[in-house]
Amino acid sequence: MSQRKRASNTQSSQNKGVRSQRWEAVLGDDEDDPSFTQPSTSQVQKGLDRLTPAQVDLKTAEVVQFIFVKDQKKFPIRRADIVKHVVKEYRNIYPEIIKRVGCVFETVFGLKLVEIDSKNHVYILINKLEQLEGESLNMSPSNPKTGLLFVILSIVFMKGGVVKESMVWNTLKKLRVDQGERHEIFGDVKKVVTDEFVRQRYLEYVRIPHTEPLEFEFRWGQRADMEVSKVKLLEFIGQLHEQDPQSWTQQYREATAPPAAPAVVTSANTSASVSQR
Amino acid sequence: MRRASRGGDESGTGAPRQNGVSGARGGARGAAADRGDTVAGGDDDEAGCSPADMQDEDNDPARRREIRSKYRDLINSVQQNREDMLSPTNNKLTDVLEEANKLFAEVRQAREAALDAQLLVLATDLGKEKASQLHAEGSAFDPAAFAEHLLSFMGLNRLEEEDVEGGASGGYLPQDAWQRVANRAQRCFRTAPSFHYMMGSFLAELPPPRQRVERQRKVPGKEAKRIMPTQLKRMEESHQEATEKEVERILGYLRSYFFDDPTSPISYYEFVIDPTSFSRSVENIFHTSFLVRDGLAKMYLDNHKLPCIAPVEEGEVEAGGASNRQQCVISISPKSWKELIEAFDITEPLIHAPSTQHTE
Repeated sequence: MSQRKRASNTQSSQNKGVRSQRWEAVLGDDEDDPSFTQPSTSQVQKGLDRLTPAQVDLKTAEVVQFIFVKDQKKFPIRRADIVKHVVKEYRNIYPEIIKRVGCVFETVFGLKLVEIDSKNHVYILINKLEQLEGESLNMSPSNPKTGLLFVILSIVFMKGGVVKESMVWNTLKKLRVDQGERHEIFGDVKKVVTDEFVRQRYLEYVRIPHTEPLEFEFRWGQRADMEVSKVKLLEFIGQLHEQDPQSWTQQYREATAPPAAPAVVTSANTSASVSQR
Repeated sequence: MRRASRGGDESGTGAPRQNGVSGARGGARGAAADRGDTVAGGDDDEAGCSPADMQDEDNDPARRREIRSKYRDLINSVQQNREDMLSPTNNKLTDVLEEANKLFAEVRQAREAALDAQLLVLATDLGKEKASQLHAEGSAFDPAAFAEHLLSFMGLNRLEEEDVEGGASGGYLPQDAWQRVANRAQRCFRTAPSFHYMMGSFLAELPPPRQRVERQRKVPGKEAKRIMPTQLKRMEESHQEATEKEVERILGYLRSYFFDDPTSPISYYEFVIDPTSFSRSVENIFHTSFLVRDGLAKMYLDNHKLPCIAPVEEGEVEAGGASNRQQCVISISPKSWKELIEAFDITEPLIHAPSTQHTE
């Protein structure tokens, strides 16, 4: 997918010429999606002027619902899909809509809409609120896959952030999870780990260059970076080992380091700040 | 050109080494670069040995095989005992390297050198692991130990016997093992709850029936105008009027049969029963009862105590006369209807069915 986008990127930037350069200067945005170009601030304002507040609110609500449904499987949501299926003819005010959508998620639902890939314009939904001790989020039992994911993320984190896949499989084997066999609960484990978790952006499954035969390594994915609290992870690992989490000094240092600011969609950082009617 | 020379150059310069590890690495790299036809983990066929070489000890196939076999043993031992070698408490890794060093002194062919290279890759990998353990302040993290702790957390019922396969803990893992881990691990995640309708969604089947009903309503609407004239005609035959008509018709039959032969009594059952239709028979009974009620027909029992029916002459009955008026209730079931047909040998109805169909 990234290769296709790259090709279209060069094509569109060649065709747009001076105009695109001016837009890019204003917005600092890549035009990698030839079907949707980010409208300029003045365009957005003009678009808003032509619509009633009720119309804009309705469109905002539709996008919110669309994102909710799309988020069920935890695959990232593409801006292109939002524009194509929901925003449609309102695309000229897209920045305003998505800004309001972000606000709705934060203020009404306590969730954050984060653009995890500013090049390909892909969003995920994460929780703004911390889970309280002894309280289950949905009052329903968690998905067992979360346990599997936890094990893998822990190994990667404790081993410095990158791990050869063989190490992960060897450890999982001790837990009676074998990538070659169908697992009672997880089914095709290899697919779950290298495909599903990767598509959900929990993990990155990257080829190690110059390896013969082919070898891959695991890293944390963008969603894991946002969603997982390393401190809490370390706490649980400490609990399992009956050790103080601080005894793993390097990991503890990394866990307590101030996090990098994510690209949360709020009024603060959306490029087109438009006067409200 | 003797193949031995490739290996020979390396071993010539490298035999006495300054520091064992780097020397072996350098030698292996050179040999690996040179190899044209070998594959690590080789086979035993001796392709391309010229007869002249056989005499040379360096090319003795048995010796070559021995060297390769020893290399493979070393490789296997490193792979099998990986965990053991990683432990900072021993120097097994160094021992392996020293063994490899000794073996390398005898390497003459590229195939053996390739095995040496493979061993070195494994050893350096382990070396890197061990180094990372040393450099890390604080505790090392051992995935194997992690797995053991997880199994305990999952509620593994460990068996009395020692390890089952390959160092794994034997025992019975409960069904909810992974569920337990997931429930505890979930706390580490700031996942947005998945959106689902609280009460479930409506079944998708509902909307289509509604549409169908609407269409049905619409269609009669269009045809309503067309039907109206025919319906108006049929309006003449209302239930009440229809009954009266039918009663009159039956009276007609009764009179015609009676006047055909006034002396012979008409058996009531023969008159009302339609052997082809039970419901028609019931209708006939119903309609005939009106005749009796209105005094247009009379029923009596004949000599055999069987009911008969006959029309009443006008003037015979006093209007509103209570005398000689009796009531009776007649019931009939399909069973008795069949019995009557048999008993009276009724083959065709005396009251013919009306030509026009009643619409109910």
